[in-house]
Amino acid sequence: MSNALPPTGTKDPLIAAPSAPRARRSRRGTSLFAHGEPMIWFTGGSLVLALLMIIGLLGWVLAQGMGTFWPERVPQLELLGGERLMGELGDVERYTPEASMLDALSPELRARADLELAALDGQLERVLLRSGNFDISNTHYRWVDRYAIAHASRELDDSEAGRQWELDPARFRMEASASDTDWSLVVERLSWGRLYAKPVAFQVAGQALSDDPAEAWEQFEAHHSEARERWQQRRDLETHDIGDVNHALEEARLAARAAQMDLDAALAASAGAPRLTKLRAANEAAQASLLDTEELGEQRFAELQSQIRELDEQNARQTLLVQTADGTLVDLQLADVVRAYPANQLGLFGRLGVYASRWREFLFDDPREANSEGGVFPAIFGTVVMTLIMSLLVVPLGVLAALYLREYAKQGPIVSAVRIAVNNLAGVPSIVFGVFGLGFFCYIVGVSIDELFYSAKLPSPTFGTGGLLWASFTLALLTLPVVIVATEEALSAVPNSMREGSYACGATKWQTIQRIVLPRAAPGIMTGMVLAIARGAGEVAPLMLVGAVKLAPDLPIDVNNWSGSLGPIWTGAAHLERSFMHLGFHIYDLGFQSQNSEAAKPMVYTTTLLLIGIVVTLNLLAVGVRSRLRRRFAGTHV
Amino acid sequence: MSEKTFTGRKRHGTRLSVRLAEWASSAMITVGGLGTILAVALIFVFLVWVVLPLFGAAEVGDAQQTAIASANDGATWHAHVDPSRQMLVVIDARGHARVHHLATGDLLEERALVTQAPTAFNVTPGGEQLVFGFGDGSVTTAELAFDTTFLSADAPLDDAIVALQPGESIAVGASVVERTREGVLRQLRFEPWVEDPFDTGAGVPIRLADRVDSGSRTVWVTFDDSERLRHLEVRSSKNLLTGKITRRAKERALSYATGLRAAPTRLLLSGQGDNLYLGWADGRLERHDLSDADDPRVAEVLDVAEGEASVTALGFLLGRSTLLVGDSDGRLSAWFRIKPDDAGTPDGALLVEAHTLLESGPAITSLAPSPRTRLLALGDADGGVRLLHVTSQQELAYLPPTPDSQGDAHLRAVVMAPKEDALVLLGTRQITQRLLDPKHPEAALGSLFGTVWYEGYTDPQHVWQSSSGSDDFEEKLGLMPLIFGTLKATFYSMLFGAPLALLAAIFTSEFLSRRVRTPIKSAIEMMASLPSVVLGFLAALVIAPFVENVLPIILASFLCVPMCLWLGAQLWQLLPAASAVRLAGMPRLLGITAALLVGASLSVLVGPALEALCFGGDLILWLDGQGGGGAGGWFFLLLPLALLATAMIEGRTVQLRRRGARRNATRQGMARLDLLRAALIVVGGGVLAFLVSQALSGVGLDPRGGVVDTYVQRNALIVGFVMGFAVIPIIYTLAEDALNSVPEHLRLASLGAGATQWQTATRVIVPAAMSGLFSALMIGLGRAVGETMIVLMATGNTAVMEWNVFNGFRTLSANIAVELPEAVRGSTHYRTLFLAALVLFAMTFVLNTLAEVVRARFRKRAVQL
Repeated sequence: MSNALPPTGTKDPLIAAPSAPRARRSRRGTSLFAHGEPMIWFTGGSLVLALLMIIGLLGWVLAQGMGTFWPERVPQLELLGGERLMGELGDVERYTPEASMLDALSPELRARADLELAALDGQLERVLLRSGNFDISNTHYRWVDRYAIAHASRELDDSEAGRQWELDPARFRMEASASDTDWSLVVERLSWGRLYAKPVAFQVAGQALSDDPAEAWEQFEAHHSEARERWQQRRDLETHDIGDVNHALEEARLAARAAQMDLDAALAASAGAPRLTKLRAANEAAQASLLDTEELGEQRFAELQSQIRELDEQNARQTLLVQTADGTLVDLQLADVVRAYPANQLGLFGRLGVYASRWREFLFDDPREANSEGGVFPAIFGTVVMTLIMSLLVVPLGVLAALYLREYAKQGPIVSAVRIAVNNLAGVPSIVFGVFGLGFFCYIVGVSIDELFYSAKLPSPTFGTGGLLWASFTLALLTLPVVIVATEEALSAVPNSMREGSYACGATKWQTIQRIVLPRAAPGIMTGMVLAIARGAGEVAPLMLVGAVKLAPDLPIDVNNWSGSLGPIWTGAAHLERSFMHLGFHIYDLGFQSQNSEAAKPMVYTTTLLLIGIVVTLNLLAVGVRSRLRRRFAGTHV
Repeated sequence: MSEKTFTGRKRHGTRLSVRLAEWASSAMITVGGLGTILAVALIFVFLVWVVLPLFGAAEVGDAQQTAIASANDGATWHAHVDPSRQMLVVIDARGHARVHHLATGDLLEERALVTQAPTAFNVTPGGEQLVFGFGDGSVTTAELAFDTTFLSADAPLDDAIVALQPGESIAVGASVVERTREGVLRQLRFEPWVEDPFDTGAGVPIRLADRVDSGSRTVWVTFDDSERLRHLEVRSSKNLLTGKITRRAKERALSYATGLRAAPTRLLLSGQGDNLYLGWADGRLERHDLSDADDPRVAEVLDVAEGEASVTALGFLLGRSTLLVGDSDGRLSAWFRIKPDDAGTPDGALLVEAHTLLESGPAITSLAPSPRTRLLALGDADGGVRLLHVTSQQELAYLPPTPDSQGDAHLRAVVMAPKEDALVLLGTRQITQRLLDPKHPEAALGSLFGTVWYEGYTDPQHVWQSSSGSDDFEEKLGLMPLIFGTLKATFYSMLFGAPLALLAAIFTSEFLSRRVRTPIKSAIEMMASLPSVVLGFLAALVIAPFVENVLPIILASFLCVPMCLWLGAQLWQLLPAASAVRLAGMPRLLGITAALLVGASLSVLVGPALEALCFGGDLILWLDGQGGGGAGGWFFLLLPLALLATAMIEGRTVQLRRRGARRNATRQGMARLDLLRAALIVVGGGVLAFLVSQALSGVGLDPRGGVVDTYVQRNALIVGFVMGFAVIPIIYTLAEDALNSVPEHLRLASLGAGATQWQTATRVIVPAAMSGLFSALMIGLGRAVGETMIVLMATGNTAVMEWNVFNGFRTLSANIAVELPEAVRGSTHYRTLFLAALVLFAMTFVLNTLAEVVRARFRKRAVQL
């Protein structure tokens, strides 16, 4: 970290620094031991190892993250028992089978397994097949043994397994009937995960419009977008409009409760008669308004419900009948299909299109299926808003503190002790800040705010629990030392001669700081700020305590509440007390709390890639700013 | 205001706005700056503020005494207080319950709980369930229950009730009406529930009895006048038509030591009904094992009273597992069963005295264990009362005797209120109520940082286990396992990261050309800000499963990679001097990379061979203690040490003697010799390691059980790798800066004096930069200590204390992250987690301050150079 650098620039420019490999003749008789060649190789090995690890790590994340959304071909496999499977192929692995498993095999399978065992030194090979169809098979993935495969369609050759196994085409190729595999669809659904199936017919109200797969697919494509639009409309009705009504009801209820509580408190304190009358009137008004709102709300509810029913009916009419590999027929509502594509029909551009559309969904949509599908938009939003609030807090405070320490405080033992303490705080574990944030911001400040302003809502806490505001405060505290140290460094890099020159011209201290020191230090301050933001964006541990959650039902800023509702607009708009989603926490949660971790893995990699991307970009920005700063001040050193 | 000046120009005074801005900015910066710094200091203060109450003493309020009319019958068997502390129920020897209004002492009612005079009596630790035995050989159970109703404000109420202030109460008939702190009126009635007596068929009076419910059956044990000890297993079934409950008992006679002069005085059944304790007044205690009801047996007989003392109080603590023994010498001890390997008893368990809570004093007359925790109040013969916590062995308070108006301090009963918020002392003529706030009795420096003998453990241990499913759970808040986990994580990650980072820094600053240095350095620096959650995720989901699959290869690479580098260097020396110098830049780096890769591929080959040779064919099974002897493991562990030792021995002996001859050798000649030496060292080291390993395993030592033991997928090795990787950038950057800022003239002088580059690096540059390197290590250490996400994700988070590199651990930071969100605000657990944060804060603060001080010295020295 830059704050830890000892002062540089002590080198005498007159003695030109020789480049590291110095050409010298080795005298006869100089011991080889003195050259320490083995030790040099060890030091070099360490460096190379560190670099290789970095490259390996980044490369792995990049490869996994970028490859996730690429639409793979969907091969069909027929097992020896006659079972047919369809899905996307994953990794191939070798394993040592249990004896009991081998004993349970049929003679035919056993013979083939034994052949393979003999060839592979007592091991067997299998491939991970993403078979989807969770609603039918109760599993997303299954292992398929190589020896059990009787036939496979052409698409297997494109996969890693196909390349490794070099299956004999003559023996393994499935009897090719063009219409059999070609229209195999990958269907991403709203629930139950992916479906791998072939289209059979397109139906409207149960009547098949076409029985040919190609035609069915064509009609599906034609009608899918309007079905999705209806679905979108329905979701808007459900979340926004009904949400508005609920919100208004909740507010009326709270107002009534607050009025009642005021009245009760006044009664208990035996307040004067005029005050009581006033409160009684207010209470009655509030109760009446609650009744009104409830009545209105019910009407509105009924209205919305009927609208939703209508949309539901329309959606239920259009379905795509598909058949899975094992022959099960599934009737898919068009509205429930997020995305479908005939994987084996797509050309390069078609696949690119699916790839891009998946990235778009990832970046701009809400998560689905316990976060393992869909997008991470709420997490990106939460991260950005939190980081923004944090920097709004930390930069002014950090700069003020640094200015005080460097320009105003009398330099002495106390100030240097403070400086050491601030430096130290940069090394205090982030979880400790989290503990402080929870104990102080949430439980003391937040609870007091609740008692003062949100007593009607108690005992359910408003500010008295983790939330966006407290997370930002906590991270601001965490990154404060970084900003202070960086700013101090930048301030001390401004030559004193410039300050003195300014004073000599009659400028006051503030004028000097404002017009001479700060502009010169600005790039340094910027560096500190960017570093702090990078640290804040990547920090997870304290957020686990102060408000990051797995799934936040609402964004911390309501975009739908600008119109309507009873309260003033700003209370409806910004809810900084809400808990929020965060990219880093999302990674932790997906990787560790998810029930279906295999299906969540691709999402973890893409999220990781996104987070690394953000942090590395911020760091590059800091490095760029710093090098510009160095260049700019290269000439002004005295 | 202006005046003529020397230059003839008019001089203006400073404008008001400028002066205002100056004043405002100065005030703002001072206030803002100081405020910010104070806010930062607040963190420490706040942590301490939350933690301090942990060590606060229990608060006992002043005595509130009320006189009561003395009972006709002097013998008091039991006393109980309701949860809202309105009523005191006193059970006397006739089986009558006298209910007093606690605030006034008024007698509200007296009712007979049982129809005939009881001959035996027992009570559960919570004080709610009573057991009676009768003269006709029947037994029964009674539950002291209270009925609460809330009075509606609309109902017509007495004026006296309406006038009640919050916290006040008034007796209404046999009930008590109270206005709660929230202002609600609450009426409380004593509504005991008494079971129909059940005839045990003894035919003679029951003298001792206890019962315990386990599942669908009830276990009774009785001791009667004909000195029979009987075990009854009662099953009840309900007739669905008539609703009549029929109970059927299966009876077994238990044998006990007969022929003693005295009969047993106490009979207690443990919580599961699997152990029976039979106590005599002289301290004799029999433990019967009833776990197999068809084969009951006396498991142990011991003397629980020291010397001549007699047992005056015997009872269970919460959970009916820990036995409390108080004697006439004032000694109080806590006993529970443990299961050591060599118990020597029929059931393999042993009753041990785990805690000695009091050594001596007045005879202990009554015990009042809390129904919710391991808090205990006891009364002594002088009328004094002590408040103790059994697990932490703390005496929280001593209440001296409070004599009544007639100077009588005798205590008939001590009652702990169910919510632990008061102690009620029942004297002969008075009730004394003392409000109580035990604070955090389970936390003491000794129990947080020392070993504690927890119930059921074979010996005192450091244990962290903060929560469990059951209610009578003993909270185990030993921080040492967590501190140990933190140190273990730090140790293994520094073991991997520190040498790598320091060596890489030396290479970068001394042997790398400036052109290559900058990009490499900024690449590694960039890694410092890689979010640790990413590393943790990769560690847990990618690296841990991978390493588990290829563990032998990984272990082999610890040998192969350095060997290949070494060999590479030896081969490099064979180059003519001129080309060696010419190729010292990028080509050498490529050579090093090649050697590294060769080493890695070699270990893929060596790994399985190593596994077959040293570890009996399967490393993970071997680690688990299945198959293979210790010799192979010793060989592998000792090989690096043996190689080093051989190299040193060779250097001291052969090398020294050949010094003269070397003067005239050519470079190539020496290099060839060196290669030969290397081969010799490898062979010699191998032989040495083999011999020592055979000797060690011959003696019977096995490497398993210490640093290597059973393999767990998420373990210290993984954390060592990944957290080591996480601290490399910070150590590397700081160390490289320190090395780089050693003045150039030192380097030049050393080279000019004929030292080689390596000699310059090790003897001039590194010593000069030593304190900088040290502070880099300290800062890296601080980072490793506090890292949360990696350890949270890549270890199993089990709080075990062993150095086994293949097992997991639980660190302070991960523990906070896992448990704090669930901890109840203000509870002992919550405050202990804050203490954990404070410990973490203190550890890193010390490390960082050390680093800062050393660095300041280093700066001063660097300037002097």
